[in-house]
Amino acid sequence: MSANRWLATGNFFSSYREEQRIFATHFDRAVFAVFILALLVWPMCFEVSNKYMLVIDNIMIAMVAIIGLNLVTGFAGLISIGHAAFVGVGAYTLAFIARQMGDSHILITHFWPGMLLLCGLVGALFGGFVGLPALRLKHLYLAIATLSFQMIFQWTINFLPIFNQGQTISIGRVQWFGGEVARSDHYLFWYYVILIVVIMCGLAVRNLLRTRYGRSLVAVRDNDRAADAMGIHPGMTKVFAFALAGFFAGVAGGLHAYLYRGAGIESFTLHQSISYLAMAIVGGLGTLTGSFWGPAAIRLLDLQVENLVEWSARFMPANMNLATALKPLTFGLVIVLFLMFEPRGIANWWRIGRTYVKLWPFRY
Amino acid sequence: MLSTMNTLLVSDVTLTFGGLHALSGISLAIKPGLITSIIGPNGAGKTSLLNCISGFYHPTQGTILFGERSLTHAPPHRVSSMGIARAFQNIELFGGLTVLDNLMLARHRNLRYGFLHALIYQGKASRSEAENRAFVEDIIDFMELEPHRKQTVGSLSYGVQKRVEVARALTMAPELLLLDEPMAGMNIEEKEDMVRFVIDIQKERHITVVLVEHDLGVVMDISDEIYVLDFGELIGSGRPDEVARDPKVVEAYIGES
Repeated sequence: MSANRWLATGNFFSSYREEQRIFATHFDRAVFAVFILALLVWPMCFEVSNKYMLVIDNIMIAMVAIIGLNLVTGFAGLISIGHAAFVGVGAYTLAFIARQMGDSHILITHFWPGMLLLCGLVGALFGGFVGLPALRLKHLYLAIATLSFQMIFQWTINFLPIFNQGQTISIGRVQWFGGEVARSDHYLFWYYVILIVVIMCGLAVRNLLRTRYGRSLVAVRDNDRAADAMGIHPGMTKVFAFALAGFFAGVAGGLHAYLYRGAGIESFTLHQSISYLAMAIVGGLGTLTGSFWGPAAIRLLDLQVENLVEWSARFMPANMNLATALKPLTFGLVIVLFLMFEPRGIANWWRIGRTYVKLWPFRY
Repeated sequence: MLSTMNTLLVSDVTLTFGGLHALSGISLAIKPGLITSIIGPNGAGKTSLLNCISGFYHPTQGTILFGERSLTHAPPHRVSSMGIARAFQNIELFGGLTVLDNLMLARHRNLRYGFLHALIYQGKASRSEAENRAFVEDIIDFMELEPHRKQTVGSLSYGVQKRVEVARALTMAPELLLLDEPMAGMNIEEKEDMVRFVIDIQKERHITVVLVEHDLGVVMDISDEIYVLDFGELIGSGRPDEVARDPKVVEAYIGES
């Protein structure tokens, strides 16, 4: 190792352990630390309205879900059209407990971190189960199998009385060091919780991707015949990918239920599943950073279009219907444009930007 | 070394697809420590035989034994865990990954750490990765792939990809290496390199090699033993000079004499 670990120049590795580092230089690590610190500190510096905090919380919950979707669709190459249903499984795990034991049962209000983990595990269980057809099916046929789960999920929730037939099941406020989290702090409190979950998920997946588990996912995507010859069981790897995706979706679902203090079917419909897929594509399939870019881009775009519609309604109230149609229209347009011009997603812009900055003062 | 190595025994293997006999009653023995070649005209069943051995196909009749263990109905990931590795004829690498990751994938079975270790990437996981990386680097050195280590496989030239394919099979540290036309589509220089690698694999790394190849010059030069297939049947076998004189083999290759 060179003397100055702050600079990339003249920095070399003398053992394989050194090469495993995520951050090659101290500078990279410092930048990342400052970034995380900024995320923790900024809500204390600025007054953010609840409306915008809710948007931000929502974006970050979607990030957790998209990390999962990216693992199964981006890295393992298995199209999942039922991701919202897995998120729903997480949310309804919580809702089910709330309905059985009362919405302010001690399990829900005090042991909420454990409950979030439970939501993830139940999600993983369902993910693994729905992934079982992957032992036999491939490509679009498998995608249809996941679609069928989405349908079964919606039907089950809509018709079973234990799930309140899709009507909202309320969930109580959580406790934080003795006191109940107040209404005014609700969104800020969950901002911090979700932020920590996102960071943990991000780091865990970053690690996972450089181990045998992560590599085997990419192997079954690129060539499952060869993966088989390498001693990887392709079928089990695919089931594993679905279980992983289910876990992240489940955690996202649990967070969603806590944030909205309830679970209702309208957040976990096929439309949401497609929207999740769009986020993964726009962010960049098969990249970890894409899981962060995608939700941010799509949700912010939604918000802007909504603002535009409100603004235009003041001038042309007669054309309100047209303006409302603008939202799905822009949504579709963005997906098509990305598929045509940047199939590698925003993550690719990020990559290009970073390479540019890396060489910036010394361009050749 | 040789005494502990296993013989691959193919006995009376028949493989049919509907009415088509891809292989009929093939029996052969791959002796440890040698380079054994399987040759034959196009469609003779060479690749089908390799597929039977490596578990992608299962013979309709007959048995395949590696030492004491039966490969007859084993799936590919089981066959590979018994110490039989294979390089494919049509390059079947993981195109989106770097050369290094492709080779690390071949160490999948040797990377021993749990899922939770992988999430934290400390201790066991990190150590195991580093140890296997050292093994992979040894193979990279052996196959002279150093300049391509961090390049994605899809961006490499055909000749280099073929070399990565062989390197990946070697990385599994096999006892027996199945090479399916490792020299197809190469220019003379790349071919000479590959021949040198094949000989080194046998001589230095003490790995039994099964070679399927069309270039008869290469086969006659480096093989210890040759089996000749035609229309799914074994029509000749023996040392290179014996095979070259065998009238049935000459007929299959050149036509009636």
